[in-house]
Amino acid sequence: MTSKFKISSTIHCDVLIVGAGGAGLRCAAEILEKRPGTNIVAVTKVAHPQKSHTQTAQGGMAAVDPQDPVDKPIYHMFDTWKGSDCSADQNIIRKIVESGWEQTVWMENHGMHLSRDENGRVSKRTFGGHTLNFGETSAFRCVFEADRTGKGIMDNVWGEALKGGTSFINQAIATELVFKGDNCVGAIIFRQKDGEFVAVLAKATVLATGGNGQVFKVTTNCRQNTGDGLAITIQAGLPVMDPEAIQFHPTGIVGPGILASETLRSVGGILRNKDLEPFMERYAPKMKELAPRDLVARAIETEIREGRGILNPDHDIEHVWIDLRHLSDYIHDVQIPEVSSFFRRFVNLDPKKDLCPVRPSNHYQMGGIPTNEFGEVQKSNDELIHGLFAVGECAAASFHGFNRLGTNSILELITMGKVAGEKGVASLGNERPELPKNAGDMTFSLFSKFMEQKGRDNPGQIREEMRMLMTEKVGVFRTEDGIGLAIEVLEELKERAGEATLSSKSLSMNQELIQRWELHNLLSVSTFIAHGALNRRESRGGHFREDFPERKDQFNYHTLAFMTEPGQVELGQRPIDMSIYEERQEHYEKFGMIERKY
Amino acid sequence: MDSNYKLTLKIKRYNPDTKESWVQDYVLEVGRILRFTDLFRKINNELDASLAWNSSCEHAQCGTCAVKVNGKPLLACELLVENAVNQFHTTIFHIEPITIAPVVRDLIVDLEKAYERVNEAKPYIIEPAKNPSQGNDYQIFPRNLERYVDATRCINCFCCATVCISSHKGFLGPNAVMASIVRLMDPRETARKERLDTLYSEKGIYRCHTSKACSFVCPKEIDVAHFIALAKEGRFKSKDSR
Ligand SMILES: Cc1cc2nc3c(=O)[nH]c(=O)nc-3n(C[C@H](O)[C@H](O)[C@H](O)COP(=O)(O)OP(=O)(O)OC[C@H]3O[C@@H](n4cnc5c(N)ncnc54)[C@H](O)[C@@H]3O)c2cc1C
Ligand code: SF4
Ligand code: SF4
Repeated sequence: MTSKFKISSTIHCDVLIVGAGGAGLRCAAEILEKRPGTNIVAVTKVAHPQKSHTQTAQGGMAAVDPQDPVDKPIYHMFDTWKGSDCSADQNIIRKIVESGWEQTVWMENHGMHLSRDENGRVSKRTFGGHTLNFGETSAFRCVFEADRTGKGIMDNVWGEALKGGTSFINQAIATELVFKGDNCVGAIIFRQKDGEFVAVLAKATVLATGGNGQVFKVTTNCRQNTGDGLAITIQAGLPVMDPEAIQFHPTGIVGPGILASETLRSVGGILRNKDLEPFMERYAPKMKELAPRDLVARAIETEIREGRGILNPDHDIEHVWIDLRHLSDYIHDVQIPEVSSFFRRFVNLDPKKDLCPVRPSNHYQMGGIPTNEFGEVQKSNDELIHGLFAVGECAAASFHGFNRLGTNSILELITMGKVAGEKGVASLGNERPELPKNAGDMTFSLFSKFMEQKGRDNPGQIREEMRMLMTEKVGVFRTEDGIGLAIEVLEELKERAGEATLSSKSLSMNQELIQRWELHNLLSVSTFIAHGALNRRESRGGHFREDFPERKDQFNYHTLAFMTEPGQVELGQRPIDMSIYEERQEHYEKFGMIERKY
Repeated sequence: MDSNYKLTLKIKRYNPDTKESWVQDYVLEVGRILRFTDLFRKINNELDASLAWNSSCEHAQCGTCAVKVNGKPLLACELLVENAVNQFHTTIFHIEPITIAPVVRDLIVDLEKAYERVNEAKPYIIEPAKNPSQGNDYQIFPRNLERYVDATRCINCFCCATVCISSHKGFLGPNAVMASIVRLMDPRETARKERLDTLYSEKGIYRCHTSKACSFVCPKEIDVAHFIALAKEGRFKSKDSR
């Protein structure tokens, strides 16, 4: 091992937050409010916390206003349960839904610029899947900051974390969790700018690293969402829950993958194939374009698979059209101005005159690092890892089960961020952890291997092949053979990655090195997704098996996946919490294993 | 069939290990709707894996990918090949890092340094006003919000600060002062004196000479100079000016 691989310094703090997005910094803000002066170190992989993925969330956040004359938390709980295809945990649903409004008020009171109604109060709008009276009519439950709610949240929690004195380490990656026995005592951080490895030792460590969208070829996720948090958890021998539960949005804009929201279809946009046939009539004769997300995504994928897609030569991927040309100027200019502008800005088309290219785009990971209702990470169903928390998209408590409702993610981030913050503060002891002897070994062996490898392959190309493989075989449609093949090819890609050479051996701001490490993570997370998908011989929420198209009761559980040895995935189960149903209070029957029909 | 373009990207490079800097040419055959971030990725995957550049969301919503293209600071993720050729009337593009902070490598600058100015402007409510409806949201009428909401759209891409001549001379810079101005207009903030002291200090708005270059380049089309002008007019000096 070369000498440049060493821990150059050790930082001691009370709380280490790995991932300074919405969830991580809401947690920091809570800790600083409850216990001012707490020494918090927050690490982010991007150039600055404000550049985190949360910044791009558009639609808004679900929250039931207690003063609303018609909406009730129980309706929101029902929508979330039904949306999850009966696989979210009901204790978590209750906890998050019940604190929705309090969290909204917290954000507003701390300076978020939420859009207002004419009375000067926080305004609310409708959003797909959110209903009153158990599915009867649409609920006005989504609070928002114009079309940039995530940015509002990001600015706000970053501002509060900064105000409270958080120390930030930007453009840095956590490569390894550090343990002392069964306690997590911090992480190894690689600072990209100066190429130094530092150990950050903490009384509590919070993982908030966001999603893994880069596993797929077209994604709405940001460039850094490579599933690092999951990968370092897997590397530590800890479980990942429901990795196969991935959401695809039916209409991502070809190329950048940017979300062309459901609004386009609700105002009358028509999906057409290469023959310009309005094909949704064949798949959902009644609902047509307004059918649920997963059904529309599958319809589009089918058109593409059966040769009725259109190839975009620039981005080298097939798509269908969304036709908005027949819509009035009023609709274009007043109802869908932002999305219209996306087509102009990112594909140079005028939706008033041109057909616009869309295709299913990876959007969200419902599964993640399993936690209890306080965000404490589980080692198994009845054991916790002391000192380790996980919140936000990288974690699964689980609020979304196998399918997330729009606007429920941001709600989850800030609620679980807050809850974990509270719990973290309460658990801070006085003991100052010391640096275990073997800390960093795993990182150094990996990084030195990356540096020393020799061969012809280019990590960038392997990454592209992997993303295409996952899109085709473990994407919207999955089959036993397809997934089996993907697992084999993933092993080949791992071997090839082991022979890819880096052109520069520098440690400072070596983007190629980081991408090589990300590839390692992506391959490991993809393997978990594939194994989860192979084992679940049923269809549920975002997980659709063509060979097993129905949901089955024998799979009414969460998948727990562990890596026992390199490349070996072992699967276990965690029961689904059905406490609302079991308590047999009013409306409990709505929380049984109900059908997910819209 | 979509046409292809043959472009030459002349990219300014810097190697921190040797402290060398140079301009490297990359010739690419590309489709019309690829974005400049796609071109950088293509260079990495096909020509030169060592070229360092930065981006995150690539939705024009995080401001990480700001670079100078033929002298103009802009977001590389929203510059399409076809538009670039039309806008700059050329197929040769000089690409440099933005000039608001030290370069770390190639096109990557130390944004943390650039942000120090924003931090000085305190991008949060310093001292919240008493909320008359405690436990609820503050009442803010849309007509009040509309006066400053545009300034809240800033993504801190530092394009404005890059073109502002004054921001290279001790001025906090357009986006940083705007971060403070927006909170002077926000009824939830009471720390007016502290904010005004900074705004009218050595580093403050008197350094601005109203060239409006900031408004001209802002990719979010925010009229930054308008907000600075409000402060220069002394709008916020009296308490009831909100
Ligand atoms: C286009 C789009 C629109 C959306 N709209 C909505 C919406 O309207 N409503 C809604 O509820 N949800 C929405 N979502 C989902 C929601 O935005 C995300 O789920 C959420 O923002 C994730 O937040 P997070 O804090 O968990 O992670 P992120 O915001 O992704 O933050 C992760 C942080 O971890 C850091 N990080 C990652 N890996 C490492 C590492 N190895 N070391 C150190 N740091 C690391 C990152 O740099 C970042 O700071 C949308 C998503 C997309 C893509
Ligand atoms: S108007 Fe003022 S702030 Fe804007 S660029 Fe000119 S000098 Fe700078
Ligand atoms: S004002 Fe505009 S140009 Fe300046 S940092 Fe903000 S978004 Fe960028």
